[in-house]
Amino acid sequence: MKESYRLAGDDVLIKASLDGDKLAFGEIVNRYRRMVARTVKGMLGDSVYAEDIGQEVFVNLYNSLSGFRGEAKLSTYIQRIAVNLTLNEIKRRKRFFSMFSHKGGDELSEYEIADPENEEKREAKEIVNKALMSLDPKFRIIVAMRMLQGYSTKETAEILDLPLGTVLSRLSRAQEQLKEKLKKL
Amino acid sequence: MKPSEIKKLITGALDERNDTEEIPAILEDAGVSYDFREGFAEKIADRLFGSVLTLKRDTEFKRNLNYAFYRIAITGVAAIIILMISIFIMQDSFSFNSFLGLGDSYDESIVYLITGN
Repeated sequence: MKESYRLAGDDVLIKASLDGDKLAFGEIVNRYRRMVARTVKGMLGDSVYAEDIGQEVFVNLYNSLSGFRGEAKLSTYIQRIAVNLTLNEIKRRKRFFSMFSHKGGDELSEYEIADPENEEKREAKEIVNKALMSLDPKFRIIVAMRMLQGYSTKETAEILDLPLGTVLSRLSRAQEQLKEKLKKL
Repeated sequence: MKPSEIKKLITGALDERNDTEEIPAILEDAGVSYDFREGFAEKIADRLFGSVLTLKRDTEFKRNLNYAFYRIAITGVAAIIILMISIFIMQDSFSFNSFLGLGDSYDESIVYLITGN
């Protein structure tokens, strides 16, 4: 049963999930968890909060699945939930932790740090994370969409529900901000 | 992948003219991969279908309590600082007496009351 779901299309999985098939929803989770992780962890860093938000994304998805009409791709729908929850979390954390200079977003994956053979990979991840974290969240989300998800500016605008012009201007400002910061990394 | 190449990739992703479709795969090969920890799917299943619903509420409660604590703590610290500043402005000192709102003559008047001299 589970094996057959690996090859099933998103529409089949959605229908089966709505019928209460836990395995079908499990397949949706496995199919999109890395995509969600790229958005959430790219924005929040590899922290406990990111794990919580990741779970929240799929719980929200499950609860709103009956309202999914299939007008957009399932991946886009999930991405929107992930973006909204992540930005909300950033706002919430900013409100409460900014005065403590809490930099939870800079935390790196402990299992990657613990592996000495992956020094080069660790360094690569550190550069990407530091570059992302040095940006303001509204620029960071656009860079994460482009760099970590590979979306075009048009797709990014659709997912973030922003005018294309806004995405382009933010991208250009992010470019300016990062130019100097990358030299120091 | 060398750091300079990673930086080049990042800069490339920021250029609107560039096609970014391949960048995630290249980054992944370079070690920039993201995933949730082990047991992630199980935790979601538990939250949705299991009896861990109470646990979820517990966790949320603890999280909210944490946030509330920070709020109270920050307000408390701010109040203490304001109080100290106002005392310093009014009394020109930080002595114990000034905190109690007593003047310097306090000791003498106590002695006078007790001994009558």
